[in-house]
Amino acid sequence: MPILIDLMIGLPQQRPGGLLLSILVAVAAAAAALALGVLYAMVCVTARFISLGLQAVLAILRGIPLLLLIFALGQLTSLSLPATGFLALSLYSVSHVGETVRGYLTAYPAALREQAKLLTISPAREWLALRIPWTLQKSLDAVGTHWISLLKDTGALTVLGIGELTTVARLLSEQATTTQWLEVLLAAAALYLIAVLALMRLLTVIRTRLARKGV
Amino acid sequence: MTAFVKQGLGTLAVWALSGGLALALAVMLTTLWLSRRRGLRACGSILTTVTRGVPTSLLVVAAGIAALPHAAPTWLPNPFPGTSPRLAGVAWAVTIALCLGSAGHLAVILRSGHASIGTARLEQVMLLGLTPVRRIRLLAREAAGPTLAPLGSRLVHHLHNTAFAALFPVAELFGWVQEQANDTFDVTRYVGIGVATYVVLSLAIWATFRGLEYYLAAGPTATRQPVLSAVAS
Repeated sequence: MPILIDLMIGLPQQRPGGLLLSILVAVAAAAAALALGVLYAMVCVTARFISLGLQAVLAILRGIPLLLLIFALGQLTSLSLPATGFLALSLYSVSHVGETVRGYLTAYPAALREQAKLLTISPAREWLALRIPWTLQKSLDAVGTHWISLLKDTGALTVLGIGELTTVARLLSEQATTTQWLEVLLAAAALYLIAVLALMRLLTVIRTRLARKGV
Repeated sequence: MTAFVKQGLGTLAVWALSGGLALALAVMLTTLWLSRRRGLRACGSILTTVTRGVPTSLLVVAAGIAALPHAAPTWLPNPFPGTSPRLAGVAWAVTIALCLGSAGHLAVILRSGHASIGTARLEQVMLLGLTPVRRIRLLAREAAGPTLAPLGSRLVHHLHNTAFAALFPVAELFGWVQEQANDTFDVTRYVGIGVATYVVLSLAIWATFRGLEYYLAAGPTATRQPVLSAVAS
């Protein structure tokens, strides 16, 4: 039982940690990446040629393993470990989410734009009330799949030694006896699986609600 | 330089072996998923969900800890350049963990590709009276369009996941970058080399799959009729 508590909320001297820290970091990084991704998509759609450099940077970022990104930020910046982890996950996430959102924003129907013009809706209001919500709703499936992946990818923070679930599981299993280590790792795997299934369920609920509204 | 090449080859060996095994396992999971027997279908579905739900990092940690105390048996081949033969068992364990980490995702991609063919199309191919091998070849070509792009992306992600092998004494690129940066304090240089190598390798995988897509002329509307007509004639 104490092992399960450690896996869920972290080791006594490093709380919050474990699954709780994994979820907190994943949620914060996902929110930051979504905001940055929307901004990136808006720049790409409104200033196509100027954004080419930005698109190239994101393409290179997508080619870098998350572990290497975490290591590089950990070594080259003087940020605290949690801040480094958060920054690495956010950059990694925005490189994927940004492109997804850009794709959907580009596909925004011209008919809806014309309707907004006819209704004399201001450009700023059209972006905030129509285009961005439409894009977010349509890209939910693709972005949701990335969020699931991001939650699992928090395990990469183990190279920094941050006390998230994989690190706690690794530390506990290294200290455990030969019969116990498997139990520790199985418990950690089960916790990840439960968290992923819960996120999948949440995404299904959101999708169903949007479908009911006719989006 | 030699060490860098060795570690790079180590990454390629881990990637190719675990990726190949993952693809084979994904084909098996997809076959189970498409089975007419409810039990087998449920089995395929559960295995896919489990392998997709557990992070690769944890699978690698579990496999490495399990294999580390045991010496590699003499009959075990060591196709991992730069990894000591004594630690070949750990390298194989990490390879299998990486394979499990990607198999579920690859199975979902293959299933989506199969679904994209459509029931009507499948029935049409059945009616052609082809041998099973020719039928599978034909269907694989039909499904290639929607399958190859996500398959390429996933294999790029799989390449990135090979970096987890650095948690154990297995020769691969990320471990080398970490080691050199820590030894020389020249972090920028070694991180730069690592970034450049991974970006080039990722681009190579992406380009290969784009090339394959182009070669198979995988656009569904462009190829469906010619492929079927060719087989029928």
